[in-house]
Amino acid sequence: MLAMVTSSTLIGVEGRAIAVEVHVSTGLPSFTIVGLPDATCRESRDRVRAAILSSGLKWPQRRVTVNLAPTGVRKGGAGLDLPIAVALLAADEQLPAAATAGCAFIGELGLDGSLRPVAGALPLAHAVSSSVVVLPAACAAEARLAAADVRCASSLGEVVDCLVGRRPWPQPARAGRLPPPPVGPDLSDVRGQPLGRLAVEVAAAGRHHLLLVGPPGAGKTMLAERLPGLLPSLTREEALEVTRIHSAAGVPLPEGALVQRPPFRAPHHSASPVSLVGGGGPQMRPGELSCAHRGVLFLDELGEFPADVLDMLREPLEEGQVLVCRARASVTFPARVLLVAAMNPCPCGAEGGPGSCRCRDAIRTRYAARVSGPLLDRFDLRVHVNRPDVGELMGSASPGSAAEPTAAVAERVAAARELARQRGYAANADIPGRLLDRLVPLGRGAERMLEQRLRQGRLSARGMHRARRVARTVADLSGWPGPLREEDVQAALALRSEVFPPIQGLEVPA
Amino acid sequence: MTGSTGAQGAAPSSPAGGDAVESRWAGKEVRGSQDAGDSWRAREAAHAAALAGLPGMGPATLVRILTGASPSQAWQAVRRGVLTPPGRQGGDRWAAAAARVEPEAWWESQRRRGVEVTWWGDESYPPVLRGDPSPPGVLFWAGSLHALDRARVAVVGTRSATPEGMAVAYQLGRDLAAAGVCVVSGLAIGIDGAAHSGALAAAAEGGAAAPVGVAASGVDVPYPRRHALLWKRVAACGAILSENLPGRPAQAWRFPSRNRVIAGLSQMVVVVESHASGGSLITADAAIERGVEVRAVPGPVRSPASAGSNQLLYDGPGPVRDARDVLDGLGLLTVAPASGRDTRRAASARGSPLGAGRALVAPPVDPDEAEVIEAMGWRPATLGQVAERCGRPPVRVAAMLERLAQAGLVAESGGWWSRRVGGGR
Repeated sequence: MLAMVTSSTLIGVEGRAIAVEVHVSTGLPSFTIVGLPDATCRESRDRVRAAILSSGLKWPQRRVTVNLAPTGVRKGGAGLDLPIAVALLAADEQLPAAATAGCAFIGELGLDGSLRPVAGALPLAHAVSSSVVVLPAACAAEARLAAADVRCASSLGEVVDCLVGRRPWPQPARAGRLPPPPVGPDLSDVRGQPLGRLAVEVAAAGRHHLLLVGPPGAGKTMLAERLPGLLPSLTREEALEVTRIHSAAGVPLPEGALVQRPPFRAPHHSASPVSLVGGGGPQMRPGELSCAHRGVLFLDELGEFPADVLDMLREPLEEGQVLVCRARASVTFPARVLLVAAMNPCPCGAEGGPGSCRCRDAIRTRYAARVSGPLLDRFDLRVHVNRPDVGELMGSASPGSAAEPTAAVAERVAAARELARQRGYAANADIPGRLLDRLVPLGRGAERMLEQRLRQGRLSARGMHRARRVARTVADLSGWPGPLREEDVQAALALRSEVFPPIQGLEVPA
Repeated sequence: MTGSTGAQGAAPSSPAGGDAVESRWAGKEVRGSQDAGDSWRAREAAHAAALAGLPGMGPATLVRILTGASPSQAWQAVRRGVLTPPGRQGGDRWAAAAARVEPEAWWESQRRRGVEVTWWGDESYPPVLRGDPSPPGVLFWAGSLHALDRARVAVVGTRSATPEGMAVAYQLGRDLAAAGVCVVSGLAIGIDGAAHSGALAAAAEGGAAAPVGVAASGVDVPYPRRHALLWKRVAACGAILSENLPGRPAQAWRFPSRNRVIAGLSQMVVVVESHASGGSLITADAAIERGVEVRAVPGPVRSPASAGSNQLLYDGPGPVRDARDVLDGLGLLTVAPASGRDTRRAASARGSPLGAGRALVAPPVDPDEAEVIEAMGWRPATLGQVAERCGRPPVRVAAMLERLAQAGLVAESGGWWSRRVGGGR
């Protein structure tokens, strides 16, 4: 007897529709799964058998063959447990074939027959061709974002009962309005740091990558953590896109399942190349870079990351996506992040000013060389952050200078983003170089200044493009829509300092 | 040291005593022809080098031996077992070692690689070392000893230098060389290398004095390896000297004796940056012992990299701010200095070779800018710090700093802004 139900499997951040065919025939009792299952998937025979028996159903003492079609695609994960079990029951005629028609099943089974949540429920539910999706109750909220008719259950027995009509499908608690997104740490906690605050504001407004250089305890991490709070909330499409990635990567989703705020991901510097970029295994899990899509990727202690891991970020930062290729599959992960990195000026962690450091020049040079020039070049904003003054820390500063809260800054950021949108781009960092002359015109003073810098050799052509975009953001933040003024360019150049200046006398003259 | 018996036994016929020592430098035995003189010199050189390579041979012993005998005579005495090492043990060590080497063939191979030697008693032995309290017995060299004919100033300092110290050393090396002073240093990482680089940079422009490097390894063993190119350039331009046999590696115990050679060669020692203890202080001590003036470049009082050099300043004759101060100390400054800044301005107005053009800081036009300048202080500060100190938005401060930089009043390097003394033009 043959039965077929539909399901889906995960490849990268996309689901792929799968047909689960089960054939039960006479012969020696056996249970075989074919169609490129991975190790987890192959193990499902034991889980399915135990779950069926625990649910008070019969295990067919016959020859059982499970085929996962299309056979060329590798199937991974335990999400195919439920469809295999349902198709098996239908093939064994414990379930009428008509009951499963038009339904897709996704879910992992426990040995006691309970249904467990799976990673990637949103893309999985999105991919199935059937109109009704049955999956574990814990995944229902995110699946509902993709599929109209989502039925959920908590055990295999309940699924069977509902399918044959012995009891109605449990009604999910109708989520009315989405709960408000959680509030992150507030910028008013940061004392002093006028330059650091300006840098995060400009970074948020123009989506400019930001490098914070400063001694330990200067507040680099504190500033970076407050950056996502300045970014505008995600639009519905962006939110779905981000939720799909987080769902596929198994990142815990917020209440209501929809990720409404830009994500903040801060991988430790021991991160492997694959964990950062994505890939690994047949399912090709998205990396931290993709998990930070439309949000902030924060690399603390940038100098401690292995150089090869850092250099992998180079193209994705430019392209906004990363194409991960393996022998069996290539997957495109979205990767439009705002990169924020922090590092010490040198290994000894001194304040960093000339003369304050105890490190030998060899050690300094080696430390600076850990971050390659091309990567360093991608940071539009490179600023020094100093330890705050004692007065600022103790709160003895004049009462009028109370630090601005996140909400006030976010308002300016939103206004600046609106100006950018009127130019046709979400943020100024996205404006292509060839359109700069048209979209970001220079005032006379600004032009003279840039020309002078170029002549002095203090600015490269690429650096000028980047400075120009930053200057546009600075002008937008001050509410100036006209051509760039001299002070905008000056601020942009000051925000992009050479953090590791060459040491004079190290080079042997010819 | 009890080696004198050996030395006297080596050459009983040769005259001994102070007068004889003096007479050694004047000339040698009458030579028949140029060729004969050359081959005689080559033989003596080979034997001097071979003597230096004997086990346990130190500079004091070697000087004592060469005071009493020519290198060839001493070598023969060693071969015969007449001349033995000082001390009681190992009386036949030298004879045994000498039997194993073929000095002339070995030396010929070294010479072909560009290594030369001069020894105590040789006419090309640097005159400045002849009166040294502990002179080297032999000096191997690559390049040209004529580099030592100029006025010589040692520029030394720590290996873990700050970028600021590196820049100062580089500039000192360049300006001193351009003013015709031979820069002597130790070829090490940090200050030494920067001073040499500066001197080479001046030499590349022409008309400058060549630098001299004193090595703790053999002259053919670049140490540190990173400075191999620097070695090549210094040897090609000036000279590299070493007391140690070619091929000897740099070992920690060789450095103090290298430092004494630096001190002995120099008319002034300038310490650019030194930690509270370090090799440059050994050089300074050796210089003080020899009556050589030691000066130091002032550093920030809270910088550990300047602790040692600032101590020297406290103890010593005076600071070095730039090459002019050194030339002044050597009496090489053509314009007699009256006092401080006025002299400097007068000199720069006349277009001195160092024409750094020091002028008073011109008053900033704008009171706001004056306030920013005031907030900067005299230590490098980041834009954030300046903005915080004067309580203005960073965007405004950035614009003001940029204007001040255009006026030459401040300068930026790696995100750190500092006031400039020489600005205002």
